[in-house]
Amino acid sequence: MRARRTLLLIGRHSVLIGLSAMFAAPFIFMLLQSVMPLDQAKTTALWPDHFEWSNYSTVFDRIPLGTYILNTLKVCALTLIGTVLSCVPVAYAFSHLRWKGRNVVFVVVLSTMMLPFQVLFVSQYQIFSTLGWLNSILPLTVPAFFADAFAIFLLRQFFLTLPSETIDAARVDGASELSVLARVVVPMARPGIMAIAIFQFLFSWGDFFGPNIYLQDERSLTLAVGLVRFNSDVARVGESNLTMAASVVFVLPLLVVFFFAQKVFIEGVTLTGSKG
Amino acid sequence: MTDAGDPPERTAARRVAARKRRLTVLLLLSPWLIGFFVFTLYPIVNSMYWSFTVKRYGVPARWVGLKNYEQLLGNDDLGKALKNTVYLAVFGLPIRIGISLLAASMLARPRRGNGAYRLLFYVPSVVPAVASGALFFFLLKGGGPVASLFHLFGAESPVWFADPAWAKPALIMVGTWALGDAMLIFLAGLVDIPRSLYEAADLDGAGRWSKFRHVTLPMISPVTFFVLLTGLIGVLQSFDQAYVFSQGVRKGRLTGEPDGSLLTYAMLQLRQFQDGRIGLASAMAWVLFLLTFAITMVLLASRRRWVHAASEGSG
Repeated sequence: MRARRTLLLIGRHSVLIGLSAMFAAPFIFMLLQSVMPLDQAKTTALWPDHFEWSNYSTVFDRIPLGTYILNTLKVCALTLIGTVLSCVPVAYAFSHLRWKGRNVVFVVVLSTMMLPFQVLFVSQYQIFSTLGWLNSILPLTVPAFFADAFAIFLLRQFFLTLPSETIDAARVDGASELSVLARVVVPMARPGIMAIAIFQFLFSWGDFFGPNIYLQDERSLTLAVGLVRFNSDVARVGESNLTMAASVVFVLPLLVVFFFAQKVFIEGVTLTGSKG
Repeated sequence: MTDAGDPPERTAARRVAARKRRLTVLLLLSPWLIGFFVFTLYPIVNSMYWSFTVKRYGVPARWVGLKNYEQLLGNDDLGKALKNTVYLAVFGLPIRIGISLLAASMLARPRRGNGAYRLLFYVPSVVPAVASGALFFFLLKGGGPVASLFHLFGAESPVWFADPAWAKPALIMVGTWALGDAMLIFLAGLVDIPRSLYEAADLDGAGRWSKFRHVTLPMISPVTFFVLLTGLIGVLQSFDQAYVFSQGVRKGRLTGEPDGSLLTYAMLQLRQFQDGRIGLASAMAWVLFLLTFAITMVLLASRRRWVHAASEGSG
C-alpha cells in the first residue's frame, strides 16, 4: 500500500515536471539568450559560450527602468482597485438579486465585449480629448472605476456558484443587500475576486496599446511601451540578446506577483476552510 | 394578485419596499451604467454610423449607404478568413478548455510543489510575444530541433506554419500552450466548491471519476460557460498569434510560402484599419458583432441544459 502510494507520487511528479518544462520553455529560452554574447546570439546556439551578464547592465543603462516601473505600478494599482470596487456590486446585482429586465441588461453587458476594441477606440480618443485627458494616465485608469464587462461576467459566474441558501439566510436575518454583499458574498467569493484582480494587474502591466497612445512624455511611459520601443531600437542592430534581457526584466516581476497571489488565493481559502 | 384585498397601509409599505429594492439595484449597477453612457455608448453609435460611410482618420465621414457591406461580401479573402476562424474555434477551443481544466484539477489542492507548477504552467501567458515567437521560430525552422527529432525517427518534418495542412494545427498548439488564464479561472472555480459535497459523495462510495463527473463538473459549469464564451469571442477577435506567425512566414524566417491558411477575420479587419479605411473596418466589426451575438444567444439558450441548475437557478 505504502509502496503503491510512493509510486503514484513519483508518477504524478514526473508528469507534472515534464509538462512544466514544456510550459516554462519560453522563459528558459529567454534567460539563456539574454546572457549570450552578441555574436553568438545571432547564431542558432542554445547554450551561451560564456555568460555575458553585462547585457543586463546595458539594459539598465539604456532604459530608465526605475521610472518606468514606478509609472506602471501606479497604473496597475489604480486599475486594480477600480476594477474590484466597481465590478463586485455590479456582478452581485446580476447574480443574486432578482429584478425586471435583468437578463436583457446582462446581454447588453455581454454585447459590449463583442465589438472589437479598435472600432470603439477612435471615438473613445475623441471623448478623452474633449475631457482634456490626453497626455495623462486618466484615460488608462478612470474607465477601470466604471466596471469592465469581462470582469463583471467572470465575477457573476463565480457568484452563481455560491449557495443561495446562505445568502437568503442572511437576508432573513434582516441584513441589507449591501451588508449581505460585504459580509457574506465577498468573503465566500475571495478566489474569484482575486482572479479578476490578478487579470487586471497582468493586463495593465502588459498593456501597450493604450499607454503608447495616451502617454507622450518620455518620463511618464510605462514599462511595456518602454520595452517595445527599446526592442525596435535594438532590432535594427540585431541585438536580440538585449531584447531578451529586457524581456526578462519585464516578465520577472509578473511571475513573482503571480506566484504569491495564487498561493494566497488557493491555499488561503483551503487552509482557513471558510467553505467548510 | 391584486392589492385590492390588502389594507391600504400594507400596500403602501410594499410599494416603499419595492422602490427601495429598485434603488438598491440601481445603486449596485451604477458603476457600469455610468461607464456605459459616458465611455461606451457614443463610440458604439458612432461606429455603426461609420459603417455606412467612407471615413478616414481626420476626415469627415461621407454617407455611402450599404456600399461597405456589399464590398465586404465581394471580398475574395472573406470566405477563407471565416473558414479559418471557424476551424480555430471548433478544434482549438475544446482542446484548450479540456487541457486547462485537467491542469487545474491536478493543481487545485494545496500540495507540496503545486504552487511552483501553477507558476510554471502560467509562464507562456505572460511572456512577451517577441520571446515566445523567437522560441517557436527557433524550434520549428528547417533543420531545427523539431526537424532533427523527426529525422531521428526517420520521418520528414512538416514545415509547420508554411504548410497549409499544418499551419492551423500548429497555431492551435501554440494557442493551447498559453492556457494560463483559463487554468487560473478553473482553479478559482475549483477551490470554491464546498468540501462537504465531496465528503457526501465519499459516503456514497463514489469513485474519483464519478466525483469529477457528478460534483466537480456541475459545480463549475457557470465558470466553464465563461471560459467557453470569452474563448469564442477571443478566437473571433484575436489576430496577434496568427499575425505574428504569418509575418514570420512572409519574412522567410520559416521556409515555404504563405497561402492565407492563417488569415483570420480579425486580421482582415486590422488590415482595413491600418490602411485607414475606418468605414469599411466598422462594417466588418458590425458583421463580426452580429455573428458573435447570434452564437452567444444560442449558447445562452443551451445553458439551461448543461449549466448547473441550482447555481444558475437564481440567475
